[in-house]
Amino acid sequence: MPYEALDFYDVDSLLTEEELMVRDMVREWVDDKVIPNIEQACRDGVFPDEWRQDLGEMGVLGAPLKGYGCPGLSYTAYGLICQELERGDSGLRSFASVQGSLAMYPIWDFGSEEQKEKYLPKMATGEYVGCFGLTEPDYGSNPGDMITRAEELEDGFLLNGAKMWITNGTIADLAVVWAKLDGKIRGFIVEKDDEGFSAPEMKGKHSLKASVTSELVFQDCKIPKDRILPNVSGLRGPFSCLNNARYGISWGAIGAAQACFNSAKEYALSRIQFDHPIASYQLVQNKLSWMLREITKGQLLAYHLGKKKDEGNWFPEQISLAKMNNVDIALEIARVARDIHGANGILDEYPIMRHMANLESVKTYEGTHDIHNLILGRYITGIQSFTRKL
Amino acid sequence: MVEIVVLVKQVPDTNAKIEIKDGRADLSMIKWITSPYDEYALEVALQHKEAVGGSVTALTLGPARCDKTLKDAKALGVDKIARVDVDEGYVDSLSIQSMLAEACKSLGAEVVYCGKAAADTNAGSTGPGVAEKLGWASIANVTNVVFADNSLELMQPAPEGQAKIGVNLPAVITCDKGMGEPRRANVKGIMMAKRAVVDLIETGNFEGNTSVIEHTSPPQKPPGKSYEGSEHVSEVVKLLRDEANVI
Ligand SMILES: Cc1cc2nc3c(=O)[nH]c(=O)nc-3n(C[C@H](O)[C@H](O)[C@H](O)COP(=O)(O)OP(=O)(O)OC[C@H]3O[C@@H](n4cnc5c(N)ncnc54)[C@H](O)[C@@H]3O)c2cc1C
Repeated sequence: MPYEALDFYDVDSLLTEEELMVRDMVREWVDDKVIPNIEQACRDGVFPDEWRQDLGEMGVLGAPLKGYGCPGLSYTAYGLICQELERGDSGLRSFASVQGSLAMYPIWDFGSEEQKEKYLPKMATGEYVGCFGLTEPDYGSNPGDMITRAEELEDGFLLNGAKMWITNGTIADLAVVWAKLDGKIRGFIVEKDDEGFSAPEMKGKHSLKASVTSELVFQDCKIPKDRILPNVSGLRGPFSCLNNARYGISWGAIGAAQACFNSAKEYALSRIQFDHPIASYQLVQNKLSWMLREITKGQLLAYHLGKKKDEGNWFPEQISLAKMNNVDIALEIARVARDIHGANGILDEYPIMRHMANLESVKTYEGTHDIHNLILGRYITGIQSFTRKL
Repeated sequence: MVEIVVLVKQVPDTNAKIEIKDGRADLSMIKWITSPYDEYALEVALQHKEAVGGSVTALTLGPARCDKTLKDAKALGVDKIARVDVDEGYVDSLSIQSMLAEACKSLGAEVVYCGKAAADTNAGSTGPGVAEKLGWASIANVTNVVFADNSLELMQPAPEGQAKIGVNLPAVITCDKGMGEPRRANVKGIMMAKRAVVDLIETGNFEGNTSVIEHTSPPQKPPGKSYEGSEHVSEVVKLLRDEANVI
């Protein structure tokens, strides 16, 4: 059966010709290249290198960035790309989010002219892979207290510390690393062959198995002077990147939810119990109609946020709401879809359990579900409740 | 430098379920796609240009909705896109061939590629028909092409297996699978397509001499066979193997 996306409120009619063409290009690629191979990639625990090449050839990496060989698409198109990639697998979308929003974006926004020229064109074609090092073993939701340090030398910087949970780390050609220089958070570009730098892979994940997750270790890692991102300091740097990635995730989650809904609908129509398709029972219909309801609301949220991003008329709490809501409903849809599939729902013949396990990570990274609740709580009350210091 | 024209047709999605309303196929809610064999033809045309240089024009005949097929071709890398504008509804094959042949002439075509058959009618008449109108050589169902400056070497199925055919241009070639998977668009191509303008080509008005009296749905498939109980296992296995060819 060819994939037919749920579009109950005809969001397609709001998209431009270009956005539809980009969406369809990625949709077909995911159908041809990703869905037939994803289970094997998960079993092997690898991110297939052909996917990197194909994403580069399609020209979708760093989608909304302009100039320096970047695609220059709308934020809505970027969202649609994330949606289709994550319909394939959250690990694939993670690769693209990290490359575009977390590694290319900071260089594009905060980098020097030379840094942009050197890295961005090759990152847009996928020739260079980037990663983003913010989280540390002891500082996850609270990156402001990170302990990775940079020290200024005559002829460069010396980095010491460790990052953890870094997507693409082991396969990356360069890492955008956030570290404290004289007590202030600054961004640094570390290249894979820099002395004192290593990126061992973290093994044993039950989630995002087709995505590479790594530690970044800096032991007297010396980098040249021109590797500091000159134009940003403080948490604003990493947080601007996260805003873009979180926006993409709000679309991506809809893709994963669509995959689960589709599978549940088809399964319910074909599975006969007590002489009738289970789709004919009210309890099952209730589940399907709940899925349709939540997907439709999530689509409208993502679409509207995309328009606001394109107009430059948004604030970060709006992104928190969309990321939090859409991942939350996607995960719940995956769980309900698993239920509808009965025992079959646990098999890798169906995409359900994979999406469900993936979405557990997606719920946690890029600001946990509850951290976004706290961001909204602060927005409503004006009182921060992240720590007890008021 | 060769002037290459590739004929592309917009057809209902091959998975679409088509309803009959008042004796006519109701295409109002249909998703439209580029006919799959035309995608192979596009691929061959682009390879031809890459091999010897030249320019590729994608040409279609139909109402404005067919511009989508042209834009998709543009995103793959054709140089120009052109359409013979006709109203929605039935146009008979002879008129289509006459109009397309005129359009090919006005585009200065030296070689014309198209799919071996369109996915909607499956008639396979357009390529040979256009060749007839142009008075050019016509080679159908081609699976491989070797390009030279003014000639082509083609592979075509033959009763004995494969035939290798040489032809001097001009010629009309209808394409089957074989020249590799059609290429995928990329964002740069899509940006170009967005800006591309469809050339509307005027041709004479050719009155057809056929008309559609009525559309009917294909006959319903007979109901499947069902078996209950383990005593039928060997029979079912035999049918699955010998009739359904699935095991
Ligand atoms: C697969 C994967 C890939 C990742 N990729 C990257 C990457 O590329 N780069 C990167 O820098 N990081 C990455 N991360 C890390 C991710 O961003 C962190 O895991 C996330 O920020 C949460 O941090 P933590 O895991 O340390 O959880 P913690 O911060 O320890 O949180 C644990 C729990 O406590 C809750 N909590 C924490 N603080 C509060 C509070 N004040 N009030 C109430 N509840 C609270 C959280 O909501 C959560 O439920 C990745 C993570 C995963 C799983």
